[in-house]
Amino acid sequence: MRGDTPIPDDAGERDDPMMAAEFSLGLLEGEELLAARGRLANDPEFAWRREWWDDWFVPLSDDVAGAEPGDHVWSAISSQVASSQVAGQAAGQTAKPASDGSGGVHTNVIDLQARVRRWQWVAGAASVAAALALALFLTAPGAAPLTSETPQIAANDAGEPLVAQVPIGETGLRLDVTYIPETEEMLVGAIGLAPDGVHDHELWLVPGDGSALQSLGVVTPGEVRRMALPQNIATNMADGVELVLTREPIGGKPEGVDAGPVVAQGSLGTV
Amino acid sequence: MSGFPPQSSSESAAAAREKLRDAMVRLAEGDSAALEEIYSSTRVKLFGICLRILGDRKEAEDALQDVYVNLWQNADRYDPDRASPISWLATFARNRAIDRLRTGKVRQGAVPVEEAAPLPDAAPLAEALLIDAEREAQIHKCLSALDDKAETYIRSAFFDGFTYAELAERADVPLGTMKSWIRRGLQKLRACLEASERETAEKGDVS
Repeated sequence: MRGDTPIPDDAGERDDPMMAAEFSLGLLEGEELLAARGRLANDPEFAWRREWWDDWFVPLSDDVAGAEPGDHVWSAISSQVASSQVAGQAAGQTAKPASDGSGGVHTNVIDLQARVRRWQWVAGAASVAAALALALFLTAPGAAPLTSETPQIAANDAGEPLVAQVPIGETGLRLDVTYIPETEEMLVGAIGLAPDGVHDHELWLVPGDGSALQSLGVVTPGEVRRMALPQNIATNMADGVELVLTREPIGGKPEGVDAGPVVAQGSLGTV
Repeated sequence: MSGFPPQSSSESAAAAREKLRDAMVRLAEGDSAALEEIYSSTRVKLFGICLRILGDRKEAEDALQDVYVNLWQNADRYDPDRASPISWLATFARNRAIDRLRTGKVRQGAVPVEEAAPLPDAAPLAEALLIDAEREAQIHKCLSALDDKAETYIRSAFFDGFTYAELAERADVPLGTMKSWIRRGLQKLRACLEASERETAEKGDVS
């Protein structure tokens, strides 16, 4: 099977409940998967339907044979939990938020919003420093790679939120990215931006270990979107990691094509 | 760490289920000791699920570790009034394993669809950990009512974690063909499951 046969994507009817089923089964990948994740975080109806499918499919797992993991797995889990507890206490974190029973997700959102409001303050002060850092970068001769100045990338053990402000050219507009390690959720705010109808902008994470860029999805102008990050991306969200924004055709970078020009960049930091 | 003794009667199964639900609630309240209890009684099932999806022991062990550490961090997402703890955990584990598969770092170890054989039954499931038997019978019934192809590939997506593109490649058909087989199947499946929900609701009204 080569990918050069034109494929009608309307193969079979596809409404929201169908997309939720595809998402639940794990059939989706790439942009479709990111879009579905975005819907999950922003559309309660879609989230309900996804859960509906999950609940129907899950009894099938009874047909999967059980297996015994190695003993080292538990040791690793308990030491990881113990160290996160210590870090949590050191950072003065309170106990985990209690669920209100009826709407764990809602509690979570409200909690998230309260915390975001708290950081926005700090971000106001921090943005001066961020702007200075960016100015330095822009005036650096030949815009040399930042390696020498890049802050040590530290594992974010304390679970502190990370924020990045990505100023867009000379427009005075910017993208606000917030990442909450505790829940592996990311908020991307593109307030004030307007779609031009021809392009989309896609946000990328530049992993600290030099591996390939990871897409954080297409930015939605004029909105704050919230999405859960898959584990492979979440592990790379660390203090000092760089984010770049590229200009792409509508729908984001097509498969098998180089990414478009970088139009803005910023880096994640604690506040 | 040795496993829990298998549960034999359905009464003790119900008790074990309650115990697990209780441990989940305590975990959500921040009691980290509850995690060990949950691990003891669910690791065999959840590891089986991860192993089936990832097809590699080392990867599956990493995924399992990730599942329980995340469970500890996100236990408050579990709503004890809504879902049975084991179905919630099984869904949670499967989703984490699928996320891991989509990283591109993991080479899927699963064998081609037609040759997929069940793993040797390393540790039989305790009755307590079986998910709702009635719903299980219903999903099997609705899946069996589908066209052979739709049934085969929907099952394969669930058990092996294949994407549309991977299923199409393995079946050696165009992507569009695979999508339309599966989508037609999913449409029928939804109708069948919704019909069974209406029936259950009617029965509930009578009794």
